[in-house]
Amino acid sequence: MTRAYDIIGKVGDEAAFRQELRDWLAENMPANWRSEWQKVRGSALKTEIVKWLEARRKVGLGTPHWPKEWGGPGLPFAYQIMVYEELSRADAPEVEMFIISLFHTPATLFEHGTQEQKDKYLSGIINGTDIWCQGFSEPGAGSDLAALRTSARLDGDHYVVNGQKIWSSGAAHADYCLLLARTDPNGKRKHDGISYFILDMKTPGVTVRPINQITGEAHFAEIFMDDVKIPVANLIGAEGNGWNIAQSTLSTERGLLIFGEVERLARSFECDGAAARDTWMRDVQFRREYAALYGELQTVRLMIRKLLIELEAHPDKASPTLPTYIKLTWGPFLQRYTEFLLRAEGLETQKWQPAIPGTGHSSRLRMNDFLNSYGWTIAGGSNEIMRNIIAERILGMPKG
Amino acid sequence: MSDDIDIGVLAESFNEFLSAEWPREMAVDHAKGHAPLAAELWSQAGALGWTALTASEAQGGLGLGMEAAAALHEALGAAAAPLPMLGTTLATALVAAAGTPQQRDALIPGLADGSVRAAIASPDAATIIADGASLNGVVADILDAPAATLLLLRGTQVGQPVWIALPAAAAGVTITPTGLADSSRSLGTVTLANVALADAQILTGDCGPGLDDALLRVAAIALAADSLGGGNAVLAATIDYMGTREQFGRVIGSFQALKHRVADHKAALESARGLVEHAATLPADAPGALLAALTAKQHVTRIAAEVARDCIQLHGGVGFTSEYVPHIYLKRAKLNEVLHGTRTAVLDRIANMLEAA
Repeated sequence: MTRAYDIIGKVGDEAAFRQELRDWLAENMPANWRSEWQKVRGSALKTEIVKWLEARRKVGLGTPHWPKEWGGPGLPFAYQIMVYEELSRADAPEVEMFIISLFHTPATLFEHGTQEQKDKYLSGIINGTDIWCQGFSEPGAGSDLAALRTSARLDGDHYVVNGQKIWSSGAAHADYCLLLARTDPNGKRKHDGISYFILDMKTPGVTVRPINQITGEAHFAEIFMDDVKIPVANLIGAEGNGWNIAQSTLSTERGLLIFGEVERLARSFECDGAAARDTWMRDVQFRREYAALYGELQTVRLMIRKLLIELEAHPDKASPTLPTYIKLTWGPFLQRYTEFLLRAEGLETQKWQPAIPGTGHSSRLRMNDFLNSYGWTIAGGSNEIMRNIIAERILGMPKG
Repeated sequence: MSDDIDIGVLAESFNEFLSAEWPREMAVDHAKGHAPLAAELWSQAGALGWTALTASEAQGGLGLGMEAAAALHEALGAAAAPLPMLGTTLATALVAAAGTPQQRDALIPGLADGSVRAAIASPDAATIIADGASLNGVVADILDAPAATLLLLRGTQVGQPVWIALPAAAAGVTITPTGLADSSRSLGTVTLANVALADAQILTGDCGPGLDDALLRVAAIALAADSLGGGNAVLAATIDYMGTREQFGRVIGSFQALKHRVADHKAALESARGLVEHAATLPADAPGALLAALTAKQHVTRIAAEVARDCIQLHGGVGFTSEYVPHIYLKRAKLNEVLHGTRTAVLDRIANMLEAA
């Protein structure tokens, strides 16, 4: 029987909070979760993650970054940072298919949802096991997201939705979807006329087809919508304001989420070097590459710390430039580092192994991590889109 | 004093002064000759207190730390200013660490008011035997020696490492300049022939590896900051040019293939900035202070040299002419890359530190 922990009660004393959190993690992390989770997928994996979230919920850390008002612990930002830092440093599992539920959905509803929507859906995340996915991209609207064509036509007390979404992580298991659809095809700009909906994935006319990825996994799925009826009550914000609301959804990726990812990689980076003490760290070339990559990793970590300081000071108006630089530095760094490990560790890295869910980009299965690195160089705005933003919006170079 | 000064405001004042007093045209003109320094600019820098930043208040300085020094070196790099400031920053640190109170009082006030310009031997420089009453020997390749009034040389006394502080004008001292590709700095070989030595000229306090590392930390941060400033300046000049030069009926700055290279350079420089700031903010005795400084040095000097290299390419033909600025920054960046240890030597040191951690 484990002792009683009061992590949240230590707020006010950073050192005590951190220590209590560490002690709790040491005793309560799922045993051998890496090897156990590697064997399961789908609903069996969901069961494992729900168990882990239950354990966290018991000490008030089911949704560590949520305000008290909506059932979170209402931690000061510095303590939220500490929670995600310690989770990463302890190699606690990531919540995989619950990431949209814990980050994107609240980021959208806190700011733009109606009282009724917040009451109905946030409690489903806090207390239950609701899985959310995101329906933004379409086959014809990837980097050019605003060109999306899924249509929503008002018909009495509901909208009739037709179209196709793609790259929806976790859609195969999702209960709800954050959906962008076009309500006005005659908008002045293509960004106008887009509206934001909550789609119940059990609605008739919704079909989900998983996409097989180069890693052998199928995190992503396509969502087909054929005369799907969405009640008017499920419209988020005003009709036609979907593009702006989507920016709130996406902004959540630019704070604690990326911080946790990078700290997890920083921990792996240390472990990798230590484990290679008698192998590639004895090779002068690999050793120097590792030392150079350490510098790149530090640039990312320091930028994220700067961003967190900005977010703490101005939660609502963090600079849009820093996240762009972070994205264009972190993705390519991750790809270079994971590729470096393939070269350094040789044939062993080429032996196929099933991925380990919950490890982010730090499964330490070299080939898996390398292939997954494209998740940061293509998804969420590709490197090329980041370069356009830097050149045209930040540096003011002329459009081509 | 140090509590009252905002580093951001200080940095802005450095940049404003230099863009007025050392605009791109002057940098281009200076690069055509081989003057060891911009003498007028040096006097102005001294009068403004730039040479006094890191000297203690008791010795006529401002008592500021590496953050202020990094801001100054960044501004000097951005202007490609031909000033031997690295010598002042290093000599101030050296004398403060290894000098007696009398030596500090004798040497630091001159460094602080700019009347003394120091050149300091690099870590791999020849050492001079200081066991007798006079000095003899040759020390090759001391940065900014042709501009110096004070030489700081590595010596040994009864087998122990010491530093020797000699006036450049002392009888028997000859300084032979060696031209550098980077004409904003200079190199000199110092020859000592029966130079009279006084005890007061020998700094004996704790001159072992600890002091070398402390100086290496200061040099690494200053060079990284200089490169950061230069990288940003050459990129800004290149973006300006790309907004005016037309080919195929369009300004070349509208071509995506070129814009994407610029965006990569900008992102690389913005991310590199954190390394310099972090290294400069850590106290000298903090764990990881040297690791942070060396990491900044190897990464930022490399990034900036790469940006400057591509900026000539982005300019096209005019980038290859001495009338445009990119070559000035490229040469300065390439020199920064190799000063105080080549990148591979620094990476080896970093790898050792990471393994020991």
